[in-house]
Amino acid sequence: MSMDVVDYEIFGDDIQFVEIELDPGEAAIGEAGSMMMMQDGIQMDTVFGDGSSQASQSGLLGKLLGAGKRLLTGESLFTTIFHNEGVGKRRVAFAAPYPGQIVPVSLREVGGSLICQKDSFLCAARGVSLGIAFNRKMGTGLFGGEGFIMQKLEGDGMVFVHAGGTLAVRDLAPGETLRVDTGCVAAFQPSVDFDIQYVGKLKSALFSGEGLFFATLRGPGRVWIQSLPFSRLANRIIQSAPAAGGRSVGEGSMLGGLGGLLDGDNH
Amino acid sequence: METQVTALAFGPGLPATGQRGALRAAADHVEVSWSETGSPAAAGVDAFDGVAVTCAIGDVTFAEVGFGKPGLELRWPADATQRANDTASNSTNASTATDWLVHVLNPTDAAALRARADWAALPSMKRLNQLQRKQHTQRVIAWSAVALLVLSPLLVLLLFLSQAARIAEAIAERIPITEEVRLGRQAFESMRGNLKLVDTGASPEAVVKIGRELTTGSRYTYEFHVVDDATLNAFALPGGIVVVHTGLIAATRRPEELAGVLAHEVQHVELRHGTSALVKDLSWRVLWTWFTGDWGGTLAGQAAAQLGSLKFSRDAESAADNAGFDALVRAGIDPSGMPDFFAIMAKQAGDAPAAFLSTHPLSSAREQALRQRLTELPANSFTPLDHSAWPPAQGLPVRKVAR
Repeated sequence: MSMDVVDYEIFGDDIQFVEIELDPGEAAIGEAGSMMMMQDGIQMDTVFGDGSSQASQSGLLGKLLGAGKRLLTGESLFTTIFHNEGVGKRRVAFAAPYPGQIVPVSLREVGGSLICQKDSFLCAARGVSLGIAFNRKMGTGLFGGEGFIMQKLEGDGMVFVHAGGTLAVRDLAPGETLRVDTGCVAAFQPSVDFDIQYVGKLKSALFSGEGLFFATLRGPGRVWIQSLPFSRLANRIIQSAPAAGGRSVGEGSMLGGLGGLLDGDNH
Repeated sequence: METQVTALAFGPGLPATGQRGALRAAADHVEVSWSETGSPAAAGVDAFDGVAVTCAIGDVTFAEVGFGKPGLELRWPADATQRANDTASNSTNASTATDWLVHVLNPTDAAALRARADWAALPSMKRLNQLQRKQHTQRVIAWSAVALLVLSPLLVLLLFLSQAARIAEAIAERIPITEEVRLGRQAFESMRGNLKLVDTGASPEAVVKIGRELTTGSRYTYEFHVVDDATLNAFALPGGIVVVHTGLIAATRRPEELAGVLAHEVQHVELRHGTSALVKDLSWRVLWTWFTGDWGGTLAGQAAAQLGSLKFSRDAESAADNAGFDALVRAGIDPSGMPDFFAIMAKQAGDAPAAFLSTHPLSSAREQALRQRLTELPANSFTPLDHSAWPPAQGLPVRKVAR
């Protein structure tokens, strides 16, 4: 099946959504629950698996296997396909689930496949297949910040993945290495070597706050680095949420709760 | 033999994300080609017919590549390259690489290239295969270590499971007799409220009389009790407390049968079966709490309270049978009463499962084993015990027993 070529537009700065324009007969697949709005003429169809040609040809067993893989990568079992059954161009929008940026990647440009962190898939042109990539290096799996299982997107079309905070895109020359805080790796081309490296000094390991290991990415290829893994943000939110037993940060007065009363906007 | 596969090329003047092209592999050289006029059509790799870069196979080094290393990397220095149809590259994000790198990321294609017979003798390919074997071994070792670590509680459990009896015995051996007496006393006191003790009369007298004969010279001080209970049961507590139900006494046809039961129970005390069972039960509880993290409740107290209901293993039962048989012979009592009583119990199992029976499995098999031992004894070597007025009927409930 040939890939559908889609036009898209990304709105917003830090909490984004992507609007995809579908020609008649074209379709996009979205992660369950990510659809934000769609115009008349777009039909929604939920399928078991990822809706790619690979999945539709492989029979029941193949479908179950595909579904199992999706479970492992933290996606839901079902994918929703949005067809344009109308006569003109129609738009469907998908929203990012947390603050961060939507990364549009043309799989054709990066050689046909992309490795990205679990749960980062947002939407794609129909025909893109979602799979898993198993990390066989034990050290990387344990300490690389991404676990043993990552997500592999294959095909020729556009994919939209979502990452936390602000995205940095780097093109690494062959042999060029980038050291990254574990957990900040958002996506990379499969030609890139993903490994870990001990921070080097015991003092740094214990007190630098960077942990024992860096993730290292060695070129050639393109890498996407996220500035704020979502769990890190969530952790800070919980820590400073007084309602959840956290500590007030950046507001309130010496009076504590009484000061909050006078303040007037802590409900 | 020439094979052609899809590849991603990195090299001087090529985009940093790689240039998709075709790799043509021959016995003596490799050639990578691509079209610089826009993206290749979906027609297949044959469409890559623009620029071609060739390198002699001797200059190529091989490596594994890709996430999970399914692919094959071919690398050669820029000066080993012959370039055809070259047009000045106008790629805006041109890489500064000096080496040429060609990645074959499709696992099937990569495996096919590595399996090429005409490449097998290349030093670089040999090095790659050696490295891969070494890494494979390392990975197996590392994963085995992790598996061992994760499974270690299970291994401890299995070890305990297979050696439970031996471990419990070893620990029980280290418990002093005074402690055993204290434990047995504690258990007996906790049960006493529910037991109707028969203190006077012919039956306790008979039990004590036979019991004394069986326990002369023991390191334990024995205490025999008769309980008014119609069930066919008798049990021993650690430290020397032996309890017999009136139902059991009523079922015996001659004093030798009662002596058989008492000899058996006394040997449970002598061989410390109760203490072993208690230790075993206790260690199960410790393991259980270790696994579940539930440290509530006083372990030892709970276990001691259940002493009376602890089950002995089949091995412990036959050990008590054999030692009891020996004790009967030593005391000059005819041991045939023991298998005879097992026969009664086996019959009893037919109409109602006796409590005594349920904790003492396979009484017919045990009866057979004892009969075997009887044949080895010289005939008529025992003087019979006092048969008059047996069973000692005073205070006994009347119970019909299948004879």
